[in-house]
Amino acid sequence: MNHASAQASTLHEPARDASAQRSLHLSLAHVGKDYAKVESRAGRLRLVYDLLRGRGAASVFRALDDVSFDLAPGASLGIIGENGAGKSTLLKIVAGVIKPTRGSVVVNGRVGALLELGSGFHPEYSGLANIDLAAALLGLAPAEIAQKREAIIAFADLGDHIRDPIKNYSSGMVVRLGFAVATALEPDVLITDEVLAVGDESFQKKCIAWMEGFLAGGGTLLLCSHSMYHIQKLCRDALWLKGGEVVRYGDAPSVTQAYLAWHEEKSAQQKAPIPRKAASAAGVYAVQSLDLEPGESIAQGAPLVVRGDVYSPDGRAPVVLVGIVRADGTPVYGVSTDMDRVAPQKSGPNAFRFALEFPRLDLLPGKYTLRAHALDPEGVRLFDHVERTFVVTGDAREFGMVRLPHAWRM
Amino acid sequence: MIDTPANDRHAKGRDAASVSRARDRALFANFFHRELFTRYLGSVTGLAWALVSPIALLAVYHFVFTAIFPARGFGQSSFLAFLAVALWPWFATQEAIQRGTTSLGGYAGLIRKVAFPHELVVYASVGATFVLQLAGYVAILVILVLMGEPLHLAGLVVAIPLWAILMIGVIGLVLALAALQVFVRDVEHVLNPILMMFMYLTPILYPITAVPERVRPWLAANPFGWLVARMREALIDGRLAFTAGDALALAIALVLFVAGRWVFRRLSPHFEDFV
Repeated sequence: MNHASAQASTLHEPARDASAQRSLHLSLAHVGKDYAKVESRAGRLRLVYDLLRGRGAASVFRALDDVSFDLAPGASLGIIGENGAGKSTLLKIVAGVIKPTRGSVVVNGRVGALLELGSGFHPEYSGLANIDLAAALLGLAPAEIAQKREAIIAFADLGDHIRDPIKNYSSGMVVRLGFAVATALEPDVLITDEVLAVGDESFQKKCIAWMEGFLAGGGTLLLCSHSMYHIQKLCRDALWLKGGEVVRYGDAPSVTQAYLAWHEEKSAQQKAPIPRKAASAAGVYAVQSLDLEPGESIAQGAPLVVRGDVYSPDGRAPVVLVGIVRADGTPVYGVSTDMDRVAPQKSGPNAFRFALEFPRLDLLPGKYTLRAHALDPEGVRLFDHVERTFVVTGDAREFGMVRLPHAWRM
Repeated sequence: MIDTPANDRHAKGRDAASVSRARDRALFANFFHRELFTRYLGSVTGLAWALVSPIALLAVYHFVFTAIFPARGFGQSSFLAFLAVALWPWFATQEAIQRGTTSLGGYAGLIRKVAFPHELVVYASVGATFVLQLAGYVAILVILVLMGEPLHLAGLVVAIPLWAILMIGVIGLVLALAALQVFVRDVEHVLNPILMMFMYLTPILYPITAVPERVRPWLAANPFGWLVARMREALIDGRLAFTAGDALALAIALVLFVAGRWVFRRLSPHFEDFV
């Protein structure tokens, strides 16, 4: 694991004395968070007992471990990682919603947090009443609230809907209001969690423009997103979390590229067939074997034959679906036995064989994955798939994925 | 661990503690308003329910205990006044416990995503119930006086501080129950039968003098019954002096409050994960 704080001090001010701490908006040192793990009712009682005695929970799940970074005014950090990597936990700790189990968090300035859709809104309240609630939560005096209300209403741009209860809003409208509230309150640190994904195009542009102005004005931004575009556009630095730990911390382009590369590699790993025993125990239709002819390297335009065995728990002929995708996951072509009104050949009490021939595989050179899926005889439920990657060789200079039959007429 | 000193731009010389106190006050006001208006006054039936149902219950109890099982031993005073003086503090207590115990659930979205002192939710919930029931109490007493019942309205000078003592104790109890309810959902289901039993074992529908000598000390030790007896002394007998017992009651209520808050504060950092 890379040690984030060591990199942080090279990226930002190396000085870490008290005055440097002051000028930072945000400083995390070795922050970790454990969640109590309870399965049963008795476990909950046990947890309450432990907590009342001032002890930690007996068994814990480590949601976050040893995260350190410092953010100066004007700095922007993007948090990336898969679902369950600890991104939301990290944002909640910075927002003060939860206390870290380990480490320390220092926040200088007002934090505006926009965690998930409509965070902190009351569904029965009108937009206006929710503005007052949000402002009270952020510690604004009633006079200040009155002063800001107009700006919030204008930014949210919801028209007369501002008087309707939030429960009648679309998700995009909720985000508009949430963003308008968070921004109008002039936070020093703005934390947002995947909110840009919801608004429409024009509102996204408005938000991005606002954030750029916010950063230029010395604000500090902490953005959590699955959109590498947004991370690269808005954040100077990025932090990649996996299983609660920092995988990489550094400038946004290099971290996002490393993250994307890792993703590609992960999805490229071939999926092994389910053993027959397991398939029979689970009662599922499963692909048992998959072979490509001539092999893993095919010349462009040459024939390709796909052969395989499928297990059927009830002896009925399953539906087989064969699909080809490009290495990055873009689907190229897929076809199933029931589309062509054929069925796999019975080869044993619970076994079926299939063979599919592409007489002329006119894929353009590159790396592809072939997937064979087993479905129930009705072709409704998809149980299992097995993958094989193959390379199409050749020296075609055309663009795209396939060579379409064509002729220039002039 | 998280310290959030207000930025100079916003604080303008105010210190962080006073900023956060002002924030808590504003937040409490918002929650209190929410409890009062969305729960009771948000709809016509809500308000009617809050005011009419206690009166209907008063009528039913009065009918049962005068026409079917005549109550005895409550002195020369009218049973209607005797009942009304004790019933509203009980309604307030019962409802505050029931609503307050589940109050955190209604704020789950906020608790999961925003940092604020969770106690405010319980204070607002119990406070709103007590304010509304106290208003109903004063109203029913005035109505009964107008109907010619022998009541001393001046006794409210003593009764209202007794209500305050009751509320402090109930807040303590509800703080502990609400915190437990977050982890163990059975709390609210266990509460209803217990409250029902507690009502019949408390001298609300009958005077303590009607209880057999042998068990009387046990029932007399019930602090709620004691507070209600004090209210009867003030409003029915017209005795307007505070006693040393009142100070003891306040002390007990404060102990309950401190203990309840201790439980709540031990558990509240973990609400986010369970609420």
